[in-house]
Amino acid sequence: MRTLATLVLLFFTWIDSFAQGAPSWLEESLHGSGKMNTVVAVVAIIIIGVGIWMFAMDARIRSMEERMNGRQGDEHQGEQK
Amino acid sequence: MIRTTEIAGLIRLEVALDLRQRASWAGMLLYVVSAVYVAFLAVKGGMGTSTWNALFWIILLFAAFNALARSFQREDAGRQLYLYTLVDPRSVILARTIYNALTMVLLSLLSLTFYVLFMGDHALEQAHLGQFLLAVVLGGIGFATVLTLIAAIASRAGNGAGLMAILGFPLVLPLLLAVMRASKLSLDGVAWSVTSTYFLGSALLDVITLTLAWLLFPYLWRD
Amino acid sequence: MKHWWWKSLAIGLLLFASIAALWTPLSPALVHVEPDRIAPGPMEVLVTGYNSNFSNAGSSISFFENDGQRFCPERTEVVDDRHLRLFVQVPGGLRSSMTDLQVGQLRYPGAFYTQELGEGIADRNCEEGHVQDGVFTFPNRSILYESIRNLHFHVPMWFTMIALMAISMWKSTQVLGNTSLDRDRDALAAVHVGLLFCALGLMTGALWARATWGAFWTSDVKLNGAAVTALIYLAYLVLRGSVPDAHKRARLAAIYNIFAFMLLVMFLFVVPRLNAVDSLHPGNGGNSGFSDLDLDNRLRIIFYPAVLGWILLGLWMYDLRRRTSRLNELLEQ
Repeated sequence: MRTLATLVLLFFTWIDSFAQGAPSWLEESLHGSGKMNTVVAVVAIIIIGVGIWMFAMDARIRSMEERMNGRQGDEHQGEQK
Repeated sequence: MIRTTEIAGLIRLEVALDLRQRASWAGMLLYVVSAVYVAFLAVKGGMGTSTWNALFWIILLFAAFNALARSFQREDAGRQLYLYTLVDPRSVILARTIYNALTMVLLSLLSLTFYVLFMGDHALEQAHLGQFLLAVVLGGIGFATVLTLIAAIASRAGNGAGLMAILGFPLVLPLLLAVMRASKLSLDGVAWSVTSTYFLGSALLDVITLTLAWLLFPYLWRD
Repeated sequence: MKHWWWKSLAIGLLLFASIAALWTPLSPALVHVEPDRIAPGPMEVLVTGYNSNFSNAGSSISFFENDGQRFCPERTEVVDDRHLRLFVQVPGGLRSSMTDLQVGQLRYPGAFYTQELGEGIADRNCEEGHVQDGVFTFPNRSILYESIRNLHFHVPMWFTMIALMAISMWKSTQVLGNTSLDRDRDALAAVHVGLLFCALGLMTGALWARATWGAFWTSDVKLNGAAVTALIYLAYLVLRGSVPDAHKRARLAAIYNIFAFMLLVMFLFVVPRLNAVDSLHPGNGGNSGFSDLDLDNRLRIIFYPAVLGWILLGLWMYDLRRRTSRLNELLEQ
């Protein structure tokens, strides 16, 4: 959920920064190499998006692992007592 | 499956309740009049047919949200439980939807009257008036069918008008677009052969929405 | 390891589709002529091609065509693979203001604006170019050019999103039967992954729209559909957030999910048919879809595997998400 919010927020700030006037550098870079650069940018967005999702999933699993370790630690302490 | 006498009884109950609380009707009317007057002050001066049309539908949309939000809120849990033991849930949703549709038709026609009074009737000059009124009526019925179930969900979630707006807006959009388009075309005086697809589309949307509400409401009703 | 086959299939399909989508060359085309207006008398025209192999003899045989009447250049000079210089004696009395140019098999309709029109000319016999060898290429469309490859990256995002939302709705119908919290968790996981694909579709779409139509956002039925989808499922998450009781939340969310998905299907597939007049997207309102320009289905051979691959990857991500959610709940007990 938080990743999604970040993605959406990033997207809108990014859109907003272009809202005033037509930046020529963007036009030029998108249209470069027979508009091949657009394809490159699109593929990059997709890979970055899936990558962010992977990191979020990683963090989820890590937090579960930590909780699990904590619980096991408690159990061991209980045994010792 | 459809119990006519039960539905008729429930509608009569709604009417009786509403007659007892005339203040809520007055509130709805005042809301529309204020909205129209605010629009009049904000626009000031002439505007084209498409702006006239768009502004009218926006006012009507907000009026619908305001009017229908109360449809499941006025009864407490005790009365709901009492109704639950007496009648079939499907009769309840059908009765509510029919009653809300009638309310909305009345409210849309009243809004139109006030709107024309304040904003002028220049947009209606070359319109097919019958088609335009049909669009207004179909739109009102459509808002009622979509928003009745949403109002039920929102009141169940225990979070009234705010949640209803969030849940309802995206769902009303398909209908709103079809109806706005139909009314714009009829204001431009386009022939029935062109506009009929929009009217059929809106009617189809109404029917599908009503069927879905009829199917889903029993699950919402029981606790 | 029986669960591995479809995951391997996903990777294989994505690998094939992505490599093919990036490596396949664009079919050659004529993109520019200088000057672009002709008048009777001697002219020198510089033609620019894209992926054109002008130095290959035979492809540089050319003619001009005006309203069905042809005239040929007197001399052709190959500058390089992408440039060609034509020396032509433009005859007086051409009938139409638009003159086409054909070089080899490549045609440039309406290449020249023609001045000083007349009653027509005597048709000359011009030599035709040879048929080129069949190389597998993507169609070359003006405005799109290389960005036609985005079809294989941007569009599958939407297919995957719809597939995930459909799964979510299906799980929600199962919730209604017996208020199963497991199914509710599945429905939520599908919506989460679906929203990721929705975000990716919106961003890639905005970029492609900017490169093609010059604006990030246009009022188009497909774009409105995308926006409404995002709003509906964000509202779904808000609804879930506002109900504390798990069983009640499951049931309310399921009802809203079913209702919303059905209306969404109406919005995406029925309303566009109604508003068929005003869409920039291919396949709507008088705009040709991609299907009419790939007569040999060159795009489809790669598009369908790409869609299937992305849907399978989406399912995989959904599977991971719901499994971690389940473990998370077990841990919390």
